[in-house]
Amino acid sequence: MNTLSNPVNQVRPYLLSSPALLLYIGLFMIPLIMTLMLSFYSYDVDRGGVVAEFSFTNYVEVLSDSYFHGIFFRTFALSIAVTVLCVLLGTPEAYILHRMSGRWKSICMLAILGPLLVSVVVRTLGWAILFGSKGVINESLLAIGVIDTPIKLMFTNTGVIIALVHVLVPFMVLSVWASLQKLDPMIENAGLSLGASPFIVLRQIVVPQIMPGILSGSLIVFALTASAFATPSILGGRRLKVVATTAYDEYLGTLNWPLGAAIAVLLLVANVIIITTYNKFIERKYSQAFK
Amino acid sequence: MSFLRLEGLVKRFDDFVAVEGMNLNVEKGEFVSLLGPSGCGKTTTLQMIAGFVTPTQGRILINNQDVTHLKPSKRNLGIVFQSYALFHHMTIFDNVAFGLKMRKIDKVESDERVREILSLVHLKDFAHRYPRELSGGQQQRVALARAMVIRPEVLLLDEPLSALDAKIREDMQTELRSIQRTLGTTTILVTHDQSEAMALSDRVAVMNKARLAQIDKPFALYEHPRDSFVTEFLGKSNVFEGSIKDANDGLSSIDVSGLNLLANNTDHTIGQAVDFSIRPEKIRFVAQGKGVIDGTISSRIFLGNQWVFQVETSIGEFSVVSLNTSHIDIDQGSVVGLDWTPSEVRLLTREVA
Ligand SMILES: Nc1ncnc2c1ncn2[C@@H]1O[C@H](COP(=O)(O)OP(=O)(O)OP(=O)(O)O)[C@@H](O)[C@H]1O
Ligand SMILES: [Mg+2]
Repeated sequence: MNTLSNPVNQVRPYLLSSPALLLYIGLFMIPLIMTLMLSFYSYDVDRGGVVAEFSFTNYVEVLSDSYFHGIFFRTFALSIAVTVLCVLLGTPEAYILHRMSGRWKSICMLAILGPLLVSVVVRTLGWAILFGSKGVINESLLAIGVIDTPIKLMFTNTGVIIALVHVLVPFMVLSVWASLQKLDPMIENAGLSLGASPFIVLRQIVVPQIMPGILSGSLIVFALTASAFATPSILGGRRLKVVATTAYDEYLGTLNWPLGAAIAVLLLVANVIIITTYNKFIERKYSQAFK
Repeated sequence: MSFLRLEGLVKRFDDFVAVEGMNLNVEKGEFVSLLGPSGCGKTTTLQMIAGFVTPTQGRILINNQDVTHLKPSKRNLGIVFQSYALFHHMTIFDNVAFGLKMRKIDKVESDERVREILSLVHLKDFAHRYPRELSGGQQQRVALARAMVIRPEVLLLDEPLSALDAKIREDMQTELRSIQRTLGTTTILVTHDQSEAMALSDRVAVMNKARLAQIDKPFALYEHPRDSFVTEFLGKSNVFEGSIKDANDGLSSIDVSGLNLLANNTDHTIGQAVDFSIRPEKIRFVAQGKGVIDGTISSRIFLGNQWVFQVETSIGEFSVVSLNTSHIDIDQGSVVGLDWTPSEVRLLTREVA
């Protein structure tokens, strides 16, 4: 029975997980720690670039400059907007998918998950083709006379949001779908038989029971938007900088690696704080009813 | 006029016939079971009554009102699902109160009724728990309370006890019956467990291959099954193929594999092929040569309260059940006589294949 008290057996789990552990340490922890250290160095062109001296200058610079405040705020607002839209689109989408059956279900499932197989960069470039002032959307709208002048979609918040929602909504659908799968197939009939209208069944019975799925889906979408790089950089460009593209520019544009590192670390910290608080909130709210 | 009437109910899924020509009359306050093997259309029938499945043909009447096309939410039926289908995000109290809330019954009365029904199912002290925090048997009672609190016209139960283990199941059967009696609700129970159907119901409707095979009181059904399917679904029986040879003085003689066996007269005609059926518990052991037929004991099994013997005879194998009332010293291999009274024999019309 007591196999774990045997010293050999105590070591074995660690031994077995060591390859993964080493990979994790090598490829994730070390770069992370180096980034963290780098963020405390400073950058001086006269002294040959990066200076390995411990200081808070980078953090002070980011935290006190309204230019950076704006970028952080934009990223945050963008993440909220994309998350909300993904919830509003993804939840009904998952529900409809759940209610479908047979061949149509497979086809729609493929349509929703298929894009995940295509690189984000490629999908975003696709949107760029659609969005341009000579793009497909504007050309068609102009042609049928809905608009007189091209609407601006490239390098606007609207464009970035549309593309990010498209990229991230499958995660939302999958997450909600997973919790719909766990739902008792008779639960809606139970509600109907007790006198509830289909709408009330949906609002008071189905949605509350799939709430954990909606919440974890929105967590994924939020985190992915906050750290999204390809889509904002292609569709937002220099005009609509987000935190990730700013860090990138500091590294490769200004070559101010320490400042870029500080921005990256701040993004990570903000993300972790938001996610853990949110998680705590979910756990507190649902621990009793859901395991 | 019966309280609940199914008139020529048919359900087809594409080409597949799930329910065919179902006629059923249930009186007010009556407890009727739908009994049948898996896939015979019990659930489909129940779901048509509930309104979750639309009949292809036929009518459903409750209290003389045609409800065939009424929405499920307007039928005022109480349903207990096999999986219970409790609302996991609500407390037990809110689960039970849900139906009353939908009916816009005022808070004071609603609270009172919920408390009343919860104490009837012995769950008063669990009102503020969540479904996940209850045992299977307790969840089952919540489902029952939730269905009953709205004072439904008809209570529909789809294998409500099948997920419970044997002991709790028996307790729940007793409880279900007593609650149903107390409230006097017309009830239809779907089950494939024949002892459950017989223990609980006023009448049992046996279904086979999408059709109603026979409906009657449990005892009458067991004693006078119409065909060999109903016979064997309700319990073991020794069935042999034979044909009516001749009939006089109230007794018919039946030719079974060359042997002449007696049975009470039936409306079968001479020469007609029948199934000769005698239940294992109706057979007595007698001395060799003193009974209807002799046989050799090929096996015996002890089941605590009874013995089950397999007896090899010239017309085939018999199964004989004896209560464990006194010491029975019939060993494997011994030759015995089997005896029964002709009135215990049932002659069943052979199903033409
Ligand atoms: N939605 C459906 N589409 C196609 N066939 C169906 C559908 N629902 C039920 N059936 C078929 O109808 C038949 C009767 O099903 P039903 O669920 O009524 O059986 P049941 O008597 O309740 O069986 P069980 O004891 O296994 O629950 C089955 O053969 C089933 O496969
Ligand atoms: Mg069924």
